[in-house]
Amino acid sequence: MSGRRIGVYVCQCGGNIGDYVDVDKVVATIEHEPDVVVARSAMFTCSDATQQEIVQDAEEQKLDGLVVASCSPKLHTYTFRDVAKRAGINPFQYTQVNVREQCSWTHTDDHEGATEKATRLVRAGINRTRLTEPLEPIVVETTPKSLVVGGGIAGLRAALGLAEIGLSVFLVEKEPRLGGWVASFGAMYPHGRNGAELVAKLEEAVRANPAITVFTNAEVMSKSGSFGNYQVTIAVHGERLETITVDVGSIVVATGFETYEPAAGEFGYGIDGVVTLPQFKKMVDGSAGPLTYNGRPVKTIAYVYCVGSRQSKDVEGGHTYCSRYCCTAAVHAALEVAAKADLSVRQYHLYRDMRTYGKYELLWNESREKGSLYLRVPDDEPPAVEKIASGGLKVTTRDLLTGGEEVAIPADLVVLVTGMVPRENDELVSVLKLPIGIDGFFNEIHPKLRPVETIVDGVYICGACQSPKNSAESVTSGLAAVTQSGAILKRGFAELDPMVAMVDTDACTWCDKCLEACPYAAIEQVDEDGKAVASVIRTACKGCGGCVPVCPTDAVDLQGYTDAQVKAMIDGLLEVTCS
Amino acid sequence: MTALANPRLAVELDRSDEFNADACMNCGVCSAICPMGVDVQPRRLFRYVLLGMEDRIAAETETVYSCLLCKMCEENCPSGVHIAENVRTLRHHINRTVFGL
Repeated sequence: MSGRRIGVYVCQCGGNIGDYVDVDKVVATIEHEPDVVVARSAMFTCSDATQQEIVQDAEEQKLDGLVVASCSPKLHTYTFRDVAKRAGINPFQYTQVNVREQCSWTHTDDHEGATEKATRLVRAGINRTRLTEPLEPIVVETTPKSLVVGGGIAGLRAALGLAEIGLSVFLVEKEPRLGGWVASFGAMYPHGRNGAELVAKLEEAVRANPAITVFTNAEVMSKSGSFGNYQVTIAVHGERLETITVDVGSIVVATGFETYEPAAGEFGYGIDGVVTLPQFKKMVDGSAGPLTYNGRPVKTIAYVYCVGSRQSKDVEGGHTYCSRYCCTAAVHAALEVAAKADLSVRQYHLYRDMRTYGKYELLWNESREKGSLYLRVPDDEPPAVEKIASGGLKVTTRDLLTGGEEVAIPADLVVLVTGMVPRENDELVSVLKLPIGIDGFFNEIHPKLRPVETIVDGVYICGACQSPKNSAESVTSGLAAVTQSGAILKRGFAELDPMVAMVDTDACTWCDKCLEACPYAAIEQVDEDGKAVASVIRTACKGCGGCVPVCPTDAVDLQGYTDAQVKAMIDGLLEVTCS
Repeated sequence: MTALANPRLAVELDRSDEFNADACMNCGVCSAICPMGVDVQPRRLFRYVLLGMEDRIAAETETVYSCLLCKMCEENCPSGVHIAENVRTLRHHINRTVFGL
């Protein structure tokens, strides 16, 4: 007995846990653990009623430790930290035990085993909680300035948004001009407004805003400092190279995408008259009247969808994701063609699945009424594109909607509806330590709940560098990054988790092994009474624990997950249960 | 056999205001509720028109004439395809091209 007073709550999660784990049995077993003064089961621990019950128990029973056994800590760590706070318990003396993803859902075929495992997991959580110390969040003052990397539509709008909430902004663009891809677009869906005009307006507003400093022909060279206070060096290429270092509190990455370039021969690419969607878009934007190609009127167009998207896993380096914007972009291009000609232009769309989601469905409907015919083609039989003797093109495919009839379409022009691919940006990735997802795009922490945050605090991603997006979605995410920046910079300070490494300077001999192990450059050498020792930069440390096992003198420990706590958890997991 | 896509037929048949085969979204309700259980569902017939597969339509003369024009399909069509009117248009076409009437 350590004199601690711990409350334990085991969740049924409706039937998610309760159908496989005998929650009442778990509670009956662990309520006899030392220091446990309250143990209860709940249908939904995250519900308001149960949260209130925890607060009430804490007051009545003078709890100083809390264990919630429910779902993944990814979901509800912050929920129950808040509950702990309201209950007067230090939020870092609460332990989240995962008995759903790591127990009930994985052992649906073994109720007894799942119950036994849940008991052990909860006991481990109690053992950790017993050894917790109250911790306070690390408070850092933040610099009220932001850096935006990339001057496309997302970066421009983000820069303007940041300036509008009263922050100073540095906007870095690699190219000599601002505007990105959208600056090269004519009419864009859904409103048909001109892309170049759209970003020109945005650029004008950005240039006119005194809070925004624009660097074109510029690149991010290095980053130092830590959350809330980064020093970023920017190289500006001009007649001579200039480097500028700026202090910023947040970094918004909006570096955009590349378009997929088909290989020679892929769907006939390389044959005269076979063009990609961006090339086609330029042709349509540039023609005042009916579309012509090589001086001849274009009467029939065949669109081949999903070129470079939704590729098979077997394709080396294939892009397996849906590129999201291309269906609607192609449908819109077809409408532009119809608007510039009469309706006699016949347009055949060879698709795998039409994904003109949401409001864009209306465009699809309209195109159907204006000379577009949609043919569903098999996933595993790509349409064949070839040149025919008369000089035109022929696309052969099977139309699944007529039960797989083989159809040959004579076409004047074949448009390969190409998607977005991630841009190669190795230098920026290594400077900013940007996380890359399986598709090669930058990765957010949580696609729903933290959609623009990265694992690097204060570094946000938006626009198509994160995933294929249309311009509206890019701007939306750019503004989300503005809000996130505002949340940490407008308050003047930010709070960080105190679950970071700490050094016992008596034991440390500065061998620099921890420095080598640290992926976040969070260890520095300091002098303590004439002795060189390691010190943790608490605002840079992510609490990964990489430095702990490499220390030859056991001088490093992780606050909140100390060796002693982890050992106690292992003991709890291994304890023999008598039932 | 590969059929050659040819918009001419659709354009020709399109003269009737009522002919709206391209509104079909291939849900299959018409096929499911047809009391005649016709082999070639209206949706496939209409796609033959849209793709210009004249010989396929000629081959389905029996089917086109086995329709009762009961409009059960039309009544239940979520896309508002004028199925009965479309079938009439097809009959008119077949009368000319197949029967020479």
